[in-house]
Amino acid sequence: MKPSVASLYQAVELKQDVGPLLVGERTNANGSKKFRDRLLENDYQACLAIGQEQEASGAHVLDLCAAYAGRDELADMLELVRLFSSSIKIPLMIDSTTPACIGECLKIYPGRAIVNSINLEDGGVNIRKVCPMLKTYGAAVVALTINARGMAMTADDKVATAREIYDIAVGEFGLRPQDLMFDALTFTIGAGDETLRDAAVQTLNAIKRIKAEMPGVMTILGVSNISFGLAPHSRKVLNSVFLHEAVQAGLDAAIIDAGKVLPLSKISPEDLELSLDLLYDRVKDPLKSPLMRFIEHYQAHVPETAADEAATRARRPEQIMFDLIVDGDKDGFEDTLSILLQRRSALAIINDILVPAMRHVGELFGRGDILLPFVLKSAEVMKLSVTYLEPHMEKVEAAHVTKILLATVQGDVHDIGKNLVDIILSNNGYKVYNIGIKMPAETIIEKARELKVDLVGLSGLLVKSAIVMKESMPLYQEAGLGVPILLGGAALTPKFVAQECVPGYNHPVVYCSDAFAGLKAVRDFEAGTLKTTTWDLQVQGEKLKPGLKNIEVVRTHPVPQPPFLGSRVVTDIDPTPLFSYINEQALFRGRWGYRRAKQTAEAYDQLIANEVRPLYAEFKRRAIQDGLVRPQAAYGYFRCHSEGDVLHVQDGDATHLFPFPRQAEPPHLCITDFFRTPAEGGDIVAFFVVTIGPEIDKATHALYDANKYHDYLMLHGFSVELTDAFAEYWHQVMRRELGIGGAEPENLTGFVNQAYQGSRYGFGYPACPDLDAHKAVFAMLKPERIGVTLTDGMEMVPEQTTSAIVAHHPQAKYFAV
Amino acid sequence: MNATTAKKYICVNCGYIYDPELGDPMNNIPPGTAFESLPKEWVCPICYAMQDMFDPLS
Repeated sequence: MKPSVASLYQAVELKQDVGPLLVGERTNANGSKKFRDRLLENDYQACLAIGQEQEASGAHVLDLCAAYAGRDELADMLELVRLFSSSIKIPLMIDSTTPACIGECLKIYPGRAIVNSINLEDGGVNIRKVCPMLKTYGAAVVALTINARGMAMTADDKVATAREIYDIAVGEFGLRPQDLMFDALTFTIGAGDETLRDAAVQTLNAIKRIKAEMPGVMTILGVSNISFGLAPHSRKVLNSVFLHEAVQAGLDAAIIDAGKVLPLSKISPEDLELSLDLLYDRVKDPLKSPLMRFIEHYQAHVPETAADEAATRARRPEQIMFDLIVDGDKDGFEDTLSILLQRRSALAIINDILVPAMRHVGELFGRGDILLPFVLKSAEVMKLSVTYLEPHMEKVEAAHVTKILLATVQGDVHDIGKNLVDIILSNNGYKVYNIGIKMPAETIIEKARELKVDLVGLSGLLVKSAIVMKESMPLYQEAGLGVPILLGGAALTPKFVAQECVPGYNHPVVYCSDAFAGLKAVRDFEAGTLKTTTWDLQVQGEKLKPGLKNIEVVRTHPVPQPPFLGSRVVTDIDPTPLFSYINEQALFRGRWGYRRAKQTAEAYDQLIANEVRPLYAEFKRRAIQDGLVRPQAAYGYFRCHSEGDVLHVQDGDATHLFPFPRQAEPPHLCITDFFRTPAEGGDIVAFFVVTIGPEIDKATHALYDANKYHDYLMLHGFSVELTDAFAEYWHQVMRRELGIGGAEPENLTGFVNQAYQGSRYGFGYPACPDLDAHKAVFAMLKPERIGVTLTDGMEMVPEQTTSAIVAHHPQAKYFAV
Repeated sequence: MNATTAKKYICVNCGYIYDPELGDPMNNIPPGTAFESLPKEWVCPICYAMQDMFDPLS
């Protein structure tokens, strides 16, 4: 077997087909300020995020080092190793010089790690403590060519030190040659130290000789040391050329930022020649050393590959900041802001740069030039920037800002829509008071007065919430609220707002189709042009009437035999099969907002392939591996019969009544039409409540609290579609149990079009909008057994739960009342 | 029916696909009606989303 290391998830060969093996170096408290700062804040999750970035940028192995003065290295490392080993797919390199710490980390790491590192600095004490651990846990190890005299400088000394280590590790402790990764060390040739002019040559020769004289061992090198002291854009070139030369010499692995390696093909012949001259100390001009020629060249020229960076430097910081917001790019925003703060006040930066940038983002979105996920990325940069600027702002500065109160109305727990409005408004410079979900009109009135807001925004997803909004209008009127009310929500239409809500309130009532419509309304308010929503029948037209006026429901088909009567729970459902029931189009385009809009079909396919699918794969992985999803079902079959518009359901001795609405227009359908009357012999009805558990909801809200707007929308959308997928899946399970699963859809379109026998109707949806039915459903199914409870408003908690009444009748399909 | 009128559209809310070749007979839309020619009152027959919730299918 080829020498490999492994994480919980995968094995990685130490000798890559296309070398070298890249070791990510940014999760090192000594090498990365960013990582160190997060560690000092005890923010392990943020540390993990840096590791994930390294993984994403192409590292094969991740170096992890938490040794920092004043910290408890062992405690930090144990915490980080635990976290990283479950969330990072690539194997870890345990970077510590403390044997006890190395041993504890190896003990808990669920794979084959690399230890970084051993050496002979202390004459051979620590190496003899670490080698037995390597043997016990089967780890590989980085061995530095450091001896009692210090770091080996010459090839001879490097090779001799490596040999000494080899004899101890292989000879005394029985490690295999392939377990050793020799780091022949390198020193900078960029600082003008005459004794180091051949440092690259010594290292390259040592690599060649170690590989030749100790067959089977591996070699590794911290490549970027070679160029310390040189200008950044020239370092990238020199590091890349040196890496290439080292691989030619036999280097197996490199500790380097994978994102900063240039392929040789991207380096011009002239740049290549200068780097090689410097590395091999080729003197071509008696008056100028290779180093002088190298430095002079890069003072005069910026290599082509660095053109973008140079262009960045040439731009004014005002423009850079504007572009960072528009591009949703967090890279360097702090530096840019600190430069701007030397020239302008914090408030001026916000008002003259940040807010116009967000306004531009809104315009791009409005024109269909960018999609919602990218707007959220911009808002994240905006939020970070404002947070950065806040300590620099005088309190007085924030006095004259338009204030908006946001709430989800009474009885409704859905907050994604309200929170999106919050994100867009607050990041466009407005003061938003987001007072939460399930808010009674009384509380809204009280808070609006107390906070002296200029506008009130109400949100709600449910059909019932539209009614709540309508009914609370007179309350706002009586209380003398006196400010415009903006309304938004899935069940609202401009017609409903104009005809049902507007008449109850004497101030503007405005329908907002999305967060940007809300933003426009606030701007209109400031401009004095905010208008109440109106509805003109002549212009807008009426909703289409169904084409088929008469549907005769025939109740002569056989009633299926239920597998049991009463209710059961299933708690050990494997989440994996649910993913194939996810409606990917609805997820990508609808929930996530990755719509094609103005893009060409090719550009859209690219977006889906490069951005959306990897994100989706990551969520699926997390759903399973991080235990974010735990599907459970409560369901049951019951005898029943219909009497007019009421379904009588028999559960043991108890009878539960389910009244359903009937269409006012032809074909006048009602759910009860699909069930037999007592005279026809009665019927069988089924119900289910399915949930994917509370964990994903917690994770979603944690993202919102951390201002990770983009991921918040993504994870929420994923959880909603996965819950729907579970309902689809469970409905199919129940059709099979009823013996009516003969004609099943072959693809998702078939599920969308209900190409199966029967139908399921979700409570709160058009055919059965009344959530009060949940009372009876809960009495029968007892979903408390799977952790699902009801709110006062009859909504189910956790949010990622769905319920339905299942009809087996072949003519039962979706319809709206 | 030419290439543009034959273009299918997908409802981003529920995944329903409007196929001009089929139309939507349940709602009085005859086969051969391009998406662009649908009356503006027409909504998704599955989830009642409005036409601006439809995306062209590639």
